[in-house]
Amino acid sequence: MDKSEQTQQQQQQQQHVMGVAAGASQMAYSSHYPTASMVASGTPAVTAPSPTQAPAAFSSSAHQLAYQQAQHFHHQQQQHQQQQLQMFWSNQMQEIEQTIDFKNHSLPLARIKKIMKADEDVRMISAEAPVIFAKACEMFILELTLRSWIHTEENKRRTLQKNDIAAAISRNDVFDFLVDIIPRDELKEEGLGITKATIPLVGSPADMPYYYVPPQHPVVGPPGMIMGKPIGAEQATLYSTQQPRPPVAFMPWPHTQPLQQQPPQHQQTDS
Amino acid sequence: MDQDEQDRALPIANVSRIMKQILPPSAKISKEGKQVMQECVTEFISFVTGEASDKCHKENRKTVNGDDICWALSSLGFDNYAEAIGRYLHKYRQAEREKINHDKKYENPHINRAPPPPLLLSRVTRDKVENPPPSPPNQSG
Repeated sequence: MDKSEQTQQQQQQQQHVMGVAAGASQMAYSSHYPTASMVASGTPAVTAPSPTQAPAAFSSSAHQLAYQQAQHFHHQQQQHQQQQLQMFWSNQMQEIEQTIDFKNHSLPLARIKKIMKADEDVRMISAEAPVIFAKACEMFILELTLRSWIHTEENKRRTLQKNDIAAAISRNDVFDFLVDIIPRDELKEEGLGITKATIPLVGSPADMPYYYVPPQHPVVGPPGMIMGKPIGAEQATLYSTQQPRPPVAFMPWPHTQPLQQQPPQHQQTDS
Repeated sequence: MDQDEQDRALPIANVSRIMKQILPPSAKISKEGKQVMQECVTEFISFVTGEASDKCHKENRKTVNGDDICWALSSLGFDNYAEAIGRYLHKYRQAEREKINHDKKYENPHINRAPPPPLLLSRVTRDKVENPPPSPPNQSG
Protein backbone atom coordinates (compact mmCIF):
# COMPACT_ATOMS: atom_id res chain seq x y z
CA MET A 1 0.00 0.00 0.00
CA ASP A 2 1.44 3.43 -1.03
CA LYS A 3 1.89 6.30 1.37
CA SER A 4 -0.49 8.41 -0.70
CA GLU A 5 -3.22 5.79 -0.25
CA GLN A 6 -2.60 5.65 3.50
CA THR A 7 -2.89 9.43 3.85
CA GLN A 8 -6.13 9.37 1.83
CA GLN A 9 -7.62 6.76 4.17
CA GLN A 10 -6.59 8.75 7.23
CA GLN A 11 -8.19 11.89 5.80
CA GLN A 12 -11.42 10.00 5.10
CA GLN A 13 -11.48 8.63 8.66
CA GLN A 14 -10.96 12.11 10.06
CA GLN A 15 -13.79 13.44 7.94
CA HIS A 16 -16.12 10.73 9.25
CA VAL A 17 -15.21 11.53 12.82
CA MET A 18 -15.71 15.24 12.24
CA GLY A 19 -19.07 14.57 10.64
CA VAL A 20 -20.23 12.62 13.69
CA ALA A 21 -19.07 15.34 16.04
CA ALA A 22 -20.83 18.02 14.05
CA GLY A 23 -24.01 15.96 13.99
CA ALA A 24 -23.87 15.41 17.73
CA SER A 25 -23.42 19.09 18.46
CA GLN A 26 -26.36 19.93 16.24
CA MET A 27 -28.49 17.37 18.05
CA ALA A 28 -27.45 18.68 21.42
CA TYR A 29 -28.45 22.24 20.62
CA SER A 30 -31.47 21.53 18.49
CA SER A 31 -33.82 21.55 21.45
CA HIS A 32 -32.58 24.91 22.77
CA TYR A 33 -31.88 27.00 19.71
CA PRO A 34 -33.99 27.98 16.70
CA THR A 35 -33.57 25.85 13.60
CA ALA A 36 -32.02 27.13 10.38
CA SER A 37 -35.41 27.62 8.78
CA MET A 38 -36.51 29.70 11.76
CA VAL A 39 -33.46 31.92 11.55
CA ALA A 40 -33.84 32.37 7.80
CA SER A 41 -37.49 33.32 8.06
CA GLY A 42 -36.90 35.59 11.03
CA THR A 43 -39.24 33.62 13.29
CA PRO A 44 -38.66 34.50 16.92
CA ALA A 45 -38.03 31.74 19.44
CA VAL A 46 -41.25 31.60 21.42
CA THR A 47 -40.86 30.26 24.91
CA ALA A 48 -43.96 30.21 27.08
CA PRO A 49 -43.60 29.05 30.68
CA SER A 50 -45.55 25.99 31.72
CA PRO A 51 -48.70 26.97 33.64
CA THR A 52 -48.13 24.27 36.22
CA GLN A 53 -44.61 25.18 37.33
CA ALA A 54 -42.82 28.48 37.74
CA PRO A 55 -39.84 29.41 35.53
CA ALA A 56 -36.44 29.66 37.22
CA ALA A 57 -36.39 33.46 37.36
CA PHE A 58 -38.74 36.25 36.39
CA SER A 59 -37.32 39.21 34.54
CA SER A 60 -40.26 41.55 35.01
CA SER A 61 -42.88 42.11 37.66
CA ALA A 62 -45.58 42.07 34.97
CA HIS A 63 -44.70 38.52 34.03
CA GLN A 64 -44.66 37.51 37.69
CA LEU A 65 -48.06 39.10 38.18
CA ALA A 66 -49.46 37.20 35.20
CA TYR A 67 -48.15 33.93 36.56
CA GLN A 68 -49.55 34.63 40.03
CA GLN A 69 -52.95 35.45 38.55
CA ALA A 70 -53.00 32.21 36.58
CA GLN A 71 -52.00 30.26 39.66
CA HIS A 72 -54.61 32.01 41.78
CA PHE A 73 -57.32 31.39 39.17
CA HIS A 74 -56.43 27.71 38.99
CA HIS A 75 -56.37 27.46 42.79
CA GLN A 76 -59.80 29.11 43.03
CA GLN A 77 -61.20 26.76 40.41
CA GLN A 78 -59.89 23.72 42.26
CA GLN A 79 -61.37 24.99 45.52
CA HIS A 80 -64.74 25.52 43.86
CA GLN A 81 -64.70 21.98 42.44
CA GLN A 82 -63.74 20.59 45.84
CA GLN A 83 -66.62 22.47 47.45
CA GLN A 84 -69.05 21.16 44.83
CA LEU A 85 -68.04 17.57 45.59
CA GLN A 86 -68.19 18.07 49.35
CA MET A 87 -71.64 19.57 49.00
CA PHE A 88 -72.67 16.62 46.82
CA TRP A 89 -71.68 14.09 49.49
CA SER A 90 -73.31 16.00 52.33
CA ASN A 91 -76.51 16.16 50.24
CA GLN A 92 -76.33 12.42 49.65
CA MET A 93 -76.00 11.74 53.38
CA GLN A 94 -78.92 14.06 54.10
CA GLU A 95 -81.04 12.30 51.51
CA ILE A 96 -80.23 8.90 53.02
CA GLU A 97 -81.23 10.13 56.48
CA GLN A 98 -84.61 11.18 55.10
CA THR A 99 -85.23 7.96 53.15
CA ILE A 100 -88.33 6.06 54.19
CA ASP A 101 -89.29 4.36 50.92
CA PHE A 102 -87.15 1.31 50.13
CA LYS A 103 -89.58 -0.18 47.62
CA ASN A 104 -89.18 2.17 44.66
CA HIS A 105 -85.72 2.31 43.12
CA SER A 106 -84.26 4.36 40.29
CA LEU A 107 -82.62 1.23 38.81
CA PRO A 108 -84.18 -2.22 38.27
CA LEU A 109 -83.14 -4.72 40.96
CA ALA A 110 -83.56 -7.72 38.65
CA ARG A 111 -81.04 -6.26 36.18
CA ILE A 112 -78.59 -5.52 38.99
CA LYS A 113 -78.93 -9.11 40.19
CA LYS A 114 -78.34 -10.34 36.63
CA ILE A 115 -75.09 -8.34 36.39
CA MET A 116 -73.98 -9.69 39.77
CA LYS A 117 -74.79 -13.25 38.70
CA ALA A 118 -72.61 -12.81 35.61
CA ASP A 119 -69.66 -13.37 37.97
CA GLU A 120 -69.22 -17.15 38.13
CA ASP A 121 -67.90 -17.02 41.71
CA VAL A 122 -71.15 -15.52 43.00
CA ARG A 123 -73.40 -18.30 44.28
CA MET A 124 -76.21 -16.67 46.22
CA ILE A 125 -77.27 -13.06 46.67
CA SER A 126 -79.18 -11.77 49.68
CA ALA A 127 -82.35 -9.73 49.09
CA GLU A 128 -80.68 -6.59 50.46
CA ALA A 129 -77.68 -6.72 48.08
CA PRO A 130 -79.45 -5.43 44.91
CA VAL A 131 -81.23 -2.75 46.98
CA ILE A 132 -77.88 -1.55 48.33
CA PHE A 133 -76.34 -1.68 44.86
CA ALA A 134 -79.20 0.34 43.38
CA LYS A 135 -78.35 3.17 45.77
CA ALA A 136 -74.58 2.82 45.26
CA CYS A 137 -75.01 2.88 41.47
CA GLU A 138 -77.23 5.94 41.67
CA MET A 139 -74.54 7.76 43.67
CA PHE A 140 -71.85 6.54 41.28
CA ILE A 141 -73.72 7.91 38.23
CA LEU A 142 -74.35 11.22 40.00
CA GLU A 143 -70.74 11.67 41.10
CA LEU A 144 -69.19 10.72 37.76
CA THR A 145 -71.68 12.98 35.95
CA LEU A 146 -70.82 15.88 38.26
CA ARG A 147 -67.09 15.38 37.71
CA SER A 148 -67.64 15.12 33.96
CA TRP A 149 -69.74 18.28 33.93
CA ILE A 150 -66.87 20.19 35.56
CA HIS A 151 -64.78 19.32 32.48
CA THR A 152 -67.66 20.27 30.15
CA GLU A 153 -67.87 23.72 31.76
CA GLU A 154 -64.10 24.17 31.62
CA ASN A 155 -64.36 23.80 27.86
CA LYS A 156 -67.27 26.27 27.67
CA ARG A 157 -69.77 23.68 26.45
CA ARG A 158 -73.32 22.77 27.44
CA THR A 159 -73.34 19.18 26.17
CA LEU A 160 -71.73 16.45 28.24
CA GLN A 161 -69.67 14.25 25.94
CA LYS A 162 -67.73 11.01 26.08
CA ASN A 163 -64.41 12.87 26.43
CA ASP A 164 -65.72 14.66 29.55
CA ILE A 165 -66.32 11.30 31.21
CA ALA A 166 -62.84 10.23 30.06
CA ALA A 167 -61.38 13.35 31.71
CA ALA A 168 -63.23 12.68 34.97
CA ILE A 169 -61.92 9.10 34.98
CA SER A 170 -58.33 10.14 34.29
CA ARG A 171 -58.35 12.80 37.03
CA ASN A 172 -59.30 10.45 39.88
CA ASP A 173 -57.40 7.28 40.81
CA VAL A 174 -60.52 5.64 42.24
CA PHE A 175 -61.90 5.33 38.70
CA ASP A 176 -58.84 3.47 37.39
CA PHE A 177 -60.92 0.31 36.96
CA LEU A 178 -62.77 2.07 34.11
CA VAL A 179 -59.70 2.58 31.90
CA ASP A 180 -60.65 -0.41 29.73
CA ILE A 181 -63.98 1.19 28.80
CA ILE A 182 -62.46 4.36 27.35
CA PRO A 183 -59.59 4.06 24.83
CA ARG A 184 -56.16 4.78 26.31
CA ASP A 185 -55.28 7.51 23.80
CA GLU A 186 -58.42 9.41 24.78
CA LEU A 187 -57.55 9.09 28.46
CA LYS A 188 -54.03 10.40 27.80
CA GLU A 189 -55.36 13.41 25.89
CA GLU A 190 -57.84 14.29 28.62
CA GLY A 191 -55.49 13.69 31.52
CA LEU A 192 -52.71 16.03 30.39
CA GLY A 193 -52.01 19.08 32.54
CA ILE A 194 -54.35 21.97 33.11
CA THR A 195 -57.19 22.43 30.69
CA LYS A 196 -57.52 25.38 28.37
CA ALA A 197 -60.19 26.97 30.48
CA THR A 198 -57.82 27.64 33.36
CA ILE A 199 -56.45 30.59 31.35
CA PRO A 200 -58.95 33.43 31.78
CA LEU A 201 -60.25 34.92 28.56
CA VAL A 202 -60.18 38.67 27.98
CA GLY A 203 -61.51 41.03 25.32
CA SER A 204 -59.94 41.88 21.97
CA PRO A 205 -56.35 41.02 21.00
CA ALA A 206 -55.47 44.70 21.47
CA ASP A 207 -56.20 44.34 25.19
CA MET A 208 -53.78 41.46 25.51
CA PRO A 209 -50.27 42.48 26.62
CA TYR A 210 -47.08 40.93 25.32
CA TYR A 211 -44.51 39.96 27.91
CA TYR A 212 -40.80 39.68 27.26
CA VAL A 213 -39.35 36.32 28.18
CA PRO A 214 -35.57 36.32 28.63
CA PRO A 215 -33.61 33.75 26.59
CA GLN A 216 -33.03 30.67 28.70
CA HIS A 217 -29.57 29.89 27.27
CA PRO A 218 -26.72 32.30 26.54
CA VAL A 219 -26.01 32.82 22.84
CA VAL A 220 -22.62 31.35 22.04
CA GLY A 221 -20.53 32.46 19.09
CA PRO A 222 -20.95 35.28 16.57
CA PRO A 223 -24.48 36.28 15.48
CA GLY A 224 -24.16 34.88 11.95
CA MET A 225 -23.55 31.30 12.99
CA ILE A 226 -25.68 28.30 13.87
CA MET A 227 -24.02 26.14 16.48
CA GLY A 228 -22.25 23.06 15.20
CA LYS A 229 -22.46 23.94 11.52
CA PRO A 230 -20.23 26.44 9.68
CA ILE A 231 -22.02 28.63 7.13
CA GLY A 232 -20.99 30.15 3.85
CA ALA A 233 -20.34 33.81 3.08
CA GLU A 234 -23.72 34.32 1.35
CA GLN A 235 -25.66 32.92 4.29
CA ALA A 236 -23.59 34.92 6.75
CA THR A 237 -24.52 38.18 5.03
CA LEU A 238 -28.15 37.08 4.86
CA TYR A 239 -28.34 36.45 8.60
CA SER A 240 -26.32 39.52 9.63
CA THR A 241 -28.65 41.89 7.73
CA GLN A 242 -31.70 40.72 9.70
CA GLN A 243 -32.76 42.77 12.69
CA PRO A 244 -32.42 40.82 15.94
CA ARG A 245 -35.82 40.25 17.56
CA PRO A 246 -36.19 39.29 21.19
CA PRO A 247 -38.07 36.08 21.94
CA VAL A 248 -41.66 36.90 22.86
CA ALA A 249 -44.35 34.86 24.57
CA PHE A 250 -47.95 35.74 23.83
CA MET A 251 -49.86 35.43 27.08
CA PRO A 252 -53.44 36.68 27.34
CA TRP A 253 -53.78 37.77 30.97
CA PRO A 254 -56.25 40.43 32.11
CA HIS A 255 -55.02 43.84 33.31
CA THR A 256 -55.93 43.56 36.96
CA GLN A 257 -54.35 44.45 40.26
CA PRO A 258 -52.34 41.69 41.95
CA LEU A 259 -54.63 39.56 44.04
CA GLN A 260 -53.78 38.68 47.61
CA GLN A 261 -53.03 34.98 47.63
CA GLN A 262 -54.91 33.29 50.41
CA PRO A 263 -53.30 30.39 52.23
CA PRO A 264 -54.75 27.14 50.87
CA GLN A 265 -57.44 25.75 53.14
CA HIS A 266 -57.01 22.14 54.14
CA GLN A 267 -59.91 20.26 52.69
CA GLN A 268 -60.85 16.65 52.65
CA THR A 269 -59.59 14.85 49.55
CA ASP A 270 -62.21 13.46 47.22
CA SER A 271 -61.77 9.78 46.73
CA MET B 1 -72.81 -2.73 22.36
CA ASP B 2 -74.89 -5.60 20.91
CA GLN B 3 -78.24 -6.87 22.19
CA ASP B 4 -76.71 -9.51 24.46
CA GLU B 5 -74.48 -6.92 26.12
CA GLN B 6 -77.42 -4.53 26.42
CA ASP B 7 -79.30 -7.18 28.39
CA ARG B 8 -76.40 -7.40 30.81
CA ALA B 9 -76.24 -3.63 31.35
CA LEU B 10 -78.48 -1.24 33.23
CA PRO B 11 -81.20 0.39 31.09
CA ILE B 12 -79.89 3.50 29.36
CA ALA B 13 -83.12 5.42 30.05
CA ASN B 14 -82.72 4.96 33.81
CA VAL B 15 -79.04 5.92 33.66
CA SER B 16 -79.87 9.02 31.62
CA ARG B 17 -82.63 10.03 34.05
CA ILE B 18 -80.21 9.88 37.00
CA MET B 19 -77.57 11.86 35.07
CA LYS B 20 -80.06 14.65 34.40
CA GLN B 21 -80.84 14.97 38.12
CA ILE B 22 -77.49 16.61 38.86
CA LEU B 23 -77.09 18.65 35.67
CA PRO B 24 -78.58 22.11 35.11
CA PRO B 25 -81.82 22.17 33.08
CA SER B 26 -80.08 23.71 30.05
CA ALA B 27 -77.49 20.91 29.90
CA LYS B 28 -77.58 18.18 27.29
CA ILE B 29 -75.98 14.74 27.20
CA SER B 30 -74.66 13.19 24.00
CA LYS B 31 -75.77 9.67 23.04
CA GLU B 32 -72.16 8.49 23.34
CA GLY B 33 -71.98 10.02 26.80
CA LYS B 34 -75.03 8.05 27.94
CA GLN B 35 -73.64 4.83 26.50
CA VAL B 36 -70.26 5.30 28.20
CA MET B 37 -71.95 6.00 31.53
CA GLN B 38 -74.08 2.89 31.08
CA GLU B 39 -70.92 0.81 30.54
CA CYS B 40 -69.18 2.48 33.48
CA VAL B 41 -71.95 1.75 35.96
CA THR B 42 -72.23 -1.86 34.77
CA GLU B 43 -68.48 -2.24 35.26
CA PHE B 44 -68.83 -0.67 38.72
CA ILE B 45 -71.31 -3.39 39.77
CA SER B 46 -69.04 -6.16 38.45
CA PHE B 47 -65.96 -4.64 40.09
CA VAL B 48 -67.52 -4.29 43.54
CA THR B 49 -69.32 -7.65 43.31
CA GLY B 50 -66.02 -9.36 42.51
CA GLU B 51 -64.41 -7.94 45.64
CA ALA B 52 -67.41 -8.82 47.83
CA SER B 53 -67.52 -12.32 46.35
CA ASP B 54 -63.83 -12.88 47.13
CA LYS B 55 -64.48 -11.99 50.76
CA CYS B 56 -67.36 -14.48 50.95
CA HIS B 57 -65.21 -17.18 49.36
CA LYS B 58 -62.39 -16.61 51.87
CA GLU B 59 -64.85 -16.79 54.76
CA ASN B 60 -66.53 -19.93 53.36
CA ARG B 61 -69.89 -18.22 52.91
CA LYS B 62 -72.22 -18.72 49.98
CA THR B 63 -74.35 -15.58 50.16
CA VAL B 64 -73.22 -12.05 49.28
CA ASN B 65 -74.95 -9.59 51.61
CA GLY B 66 -75.06 -5.83 52.20
CA ASP B 67 -72.15 -5.85 54.64
CA ASP B 68 -69.93 -7.49 52.02
CA ILE B 69 -70.79 -4.77 49.52
CA CYS B 70 -70.05 -2.08 52.12
CA TRP B 71 -66.72 -3.70 52.92
CA ALA B 72 -65.85 -4.03 49.22
CA LEU B 73 -66.59 -0.33 48.60
CA SER B 74 -64.31 0.67 51.46
CA SER B 75 -61.62 -1.78 50.37
CA LEU B 76 -61.61 -0.41 46.81
CA GLY B 77 -61.19 3.20 47.94
CA PHE B 78 -64.82 4.33 47.70
CA ASP B 79 -64.80 5.67 51.26
CA ASN B 80 -67.62 8.17 50.73
CA TYR B 81 -69.78 5.44 49.22
CA ALA B 82 -69.00 3.01 52.05
CA GLU B 83 -70.04 5.56 54.67
CA ALA B 84 -73.26 6.53 52.89
CA ILE B 85 -74.19 2.96 51.97
CA GLY B 86 -73.47 1.76 55.52
CA ARG B 87 -76.03 4.25 56.79
CA TYR B 88 -78.48 3.29 54.03
CA LEU B 89 -78.09 -0.41 54.87
CA HIS B 90 -78.76 0.29 58.55
CA LYS B 91 -81.93 2.20 57.70
CA TYR B 92 -83.04 -0.49 55.25
CA ARG B 93 -82.63 -3.24 57.86
CA GLN B 94 -84.48 -1.15 60.41
CA ALA B 95 -87.37 -0.68 57.97
CA GLU B 96 -87.40 -4.41 57.22
CA ARG B 97 -87.58 -5.28 60.94
CA GLU B 98 -90.48 -2.88 61.44
CA LYS B 99 -92.22 -4.36 58.43
CA ILE B 100 -91.83 -7.91 59.79
CA ASN B 101 -93.19 -6.86 63.19
CA HIS B 102 -96.12 -5.11 61.53
CA ASP B 103 -96.88 -8.18 59.42
CA LYS B 104 -96.84 -10.43 62.49
CA LYS B 105 -99.33 -8.19 64.25
CA TYR B 106 -101.56 -8.21 61.20
CA GLU B 107 -101.50 -12.01 60.94
CA ASN B 108 -102.36 -12.59 64.66
CA PRO B 109 -104.37 -9.65 66.02
CA HIS B 110 -104.46 -11.09 69.59
CA ILE B 111 -100.72 -10.65 70.02
CA ASN B 112 -99.90 -7.85 72.46
CA ARG B 113 -103.62 -7.21 73.15
CA ALA B 114 -104.23 -6.46 76.87
CA PRO B 115 -107.06 -8.35 78.65
CA PRO B 116 -110.21 -6.31 79.31
CA PRO B 117 -110.36 -4.60 82.72
CA PRO B 118 -112.23 -6.59 85.42
CA LEU B 119 -114.88 -3.88 85.93
CA LEU B 120 -116.31 -4.59 82.51
CA LEU B 121 -116.95 -8.23 83.35
CA SER B 122 -120.44 -9.27 84.37
CA ARG B 123 -121.12 -9.68 88.07
CA VAL B 124 -121.43 -13.46 87.78
CA THR B 125 -118.09 -13.74 85.99
CA ARG B 126 -116.48 -11.37 88.49
CA ASP B 127 -117.75 -13.47 91.40
CA LYS B 128 -116.32 -16.57 89.78
CA VAL B 129 -112.97 -14.89 89.32
CA GLU B 130 -112.80 -13.29 92.76
CA ASN B 131 -114.45 -16.12 94.77
CA PRO B 132 -113.75 -19.39 93.02
CA PRO B 133 -115.83 -22.37 94.22
CA PRO B 134 -114.06 -24.65 96.69
CA SER B 135 -112.47 -27.62 95.06
CA PRO B 136 -114.00 -30.98 96.04
CA PRO B 137 -112.01 -32.87 98.70
CA ASN B 138 -109.90 -35.72 97.47
CA GLN B 139 -111.57 -39.02 98.22
CA SER B 140 -108.87 -41.46 98.99
CA GLY B 141 -110.06 -45.03 99.24
